[in-house]
Amino acid sequence: MNAKLLRTYVLLGVTLFTSGSAFAQVELSGSYSIRMYEDYIERGPGSFLGDYTGMPLSDEGRAKALLYMSNLPSTIERQCLAQSPWVGQYRPLALRIWSEVDDGRVIAWVLAGDYLRDTIRIWMDGRPHPSPNAWHPPSGFSTGHWEGDTLVVRTTHVKTAWIRRGVGIPGSDRSEFSVLITRHENLLTITTIQEDPIYLTEPHVVSRVWEFDPNGSQGGNNRSTCNVGNELPTLEDTGKVPHYLPGQNPEEDYMVRNYNVPKEAALGNAYTLYPEYRKTLRGRYTPPTSCDRYCCGWIERQGLPGAAPGLTCNDGNLPRALRDALTNQK
Amino acid sequence: MNGSRAVTALMVVCLVLCSVEVRAQRRGGGQPAGPPATPRAAAPIDLTGQWVAIISEDWRWRMITPPKGDIVSIPLNLQGQQVAEGWDPAKDEAAGEQCKAYGAPGLMRGPIRMRISWADDSTLKVETDYGMQTRLLPFASSAATPAPARSWQGTTAAQWIIRGGGRGSQRYGSLKTITTNLRPGYLRKNGVPYSDRAVFTEFWDVHTLPNGDRYLVNTNVVEDPVYLQLPFETAIHYRLERDTSKWDPTPCDARF
Repeated sequence: MNAKLLRTYVLLGVTLFTSGSAFAQVELSGSYSIRMYEDYIERGPGSFLGDYTGMPLSDEGRAKALLYMSNLPSTIERQCLAQSPWVGQYRPLALRIWSEVDDGRVIAWVLAGDYLRDTIRIWMDGRPHPSPNAWHPPSGFSTGHWEGDTLVVRTTHVKTAWIRRGVGIPGSDRSEFSVLITRHENLLTITTIQEDPIYLTEPHVVSRVWEFDPNGSQGGNNRSTCNVGNELPTLEDTGKVPHYLPGQNPEEDYMVRNYNVPKEAALGNAYTLYPEYRKTLRGRYTPPTSCDRYCCGWIERQGLPGAAPGLTCNDGNLPRALRDALTNQK
Repeated sequence: MNGSRAVTALMVVCLVLCSVEVRAQRRGGGQPAGPPATPRAAAPIDLTGQWVAIISEDWRWRMITPPKGDIVSIPLNLQGQQVAEGWDPAKDEAAGEQCKAYGAPGLMRGPIRMRISWADDSTLKVETDYGMQTRLLPFASSAATPAPARSWQGTTAAQWIIRGGGRGSQRYGSLKTITTNLRPGYLRKNGVPYSDRAVFTEFWDVHTLPNGDRYLVNTNVVEDPVYLQLPFETAIHYRLERDTSKWDPTPCDARF
């Protein structure tokens, strides 16, 4: 047997033994519509200032978040901080996913969507992550592999960012993400596990659902760019950085005042995320007497086109007189 | 066919047959044909152990009881809203229905620890300390059995969705369960309702990170023609606990 023939047999054997893994994956390409049935207020109208519930913040993370003022994102230098890889977990984000193919082989999966600073390109060709000292691009750097129907992703080299919406919770450029992308029938689940040695005390885990939508937008609703421009003339070319001084954020107690949420939970301590914490609240927590704002907010505005028919609850957006008028019409 | 081609053909056939044989051995083959593997033996993932819910989402609605009328995020219809606004925990207590928020669709999003084990070779058991509930997840059986009485945890049909495992590759998969026959209950502690016509579909996935941390992600859909306008689709995550000392059974509570 000559060497060429032997090589052929070896390659054939290796292929037969290993090629099974190629079957263990699913087609992800397509458009997906958001299902905002979790954390609607954050992803819809936006979080209340001072609401860090569910976050395992470090003291540094909490202190930095409390400096945040709502016009800070209008400064030119910070307009893209709200748009980082995987920030779609906290936004009203539709997704479009496609593969990039080289010679018939998928070398990358790409995720695009509004509210991303750049498309997320997940390299599937086995390339290593760059040096820790390499440039951190807007999309970070992601590699992936399949484990069954789950695309397992590792994202590094991200930029400094605000990781939750509208409240200034920071993420450092040392954050790294493990991401699990699973499709079951028409449902796409993305689970992100963020580790940040600066601003988090333990991994921050979030799981969200999208639904495959063959009629989903392929155009402007899926742009992945961050456009900057002067938003507040009073800030233009002034060098001013809006902020609260430490200890002077008037919204630090917002969740305590309005929802009776204990301050240690409102300000995002890891121990408040687990069942044993709830038991410490017996006798300390009483629900507010009524829901006054964003009570049925999975819709944009009740009584208006696109809204759920007939609902009369307070979504917090309509002036009371208009809401009452709509309610009375029914 | 010349000699060289014959050898090549022979080698290819040998390689294919050897490959098949190795695969069979890896899957426990090599034994006389017998009854199909039990669901326990066929499990592509290991769901057993103690899992703790990480309440990093919807904290104000899952960790604590929100005010009456707070139905945000849930696609209720008007009838559902009206029922939610009529929530009266004292009435539930008087009726002995303080577990209405502990039925399967509400239970899984609660602040729970759950222990998953095999009740037998074809039934998974899910026990929670929160509300001291037990869910049984039997794998589909061809035997026709009369429907039991409606219950908080309903009647579940489970099936493995298996991927991989061919040609010597690693097997992966997930568990799919469909639960019906539910007693009317609450999706949220403050009386957001689901009806006895609700269908609760779940996909259970287990992921192990390189550092050894194991996460269970439950992607689920509640469909209810009575109180929901659209399917209520969410994903809930849990982490495996090696230290099981925080297991703390507490009975149902209609208010707290």
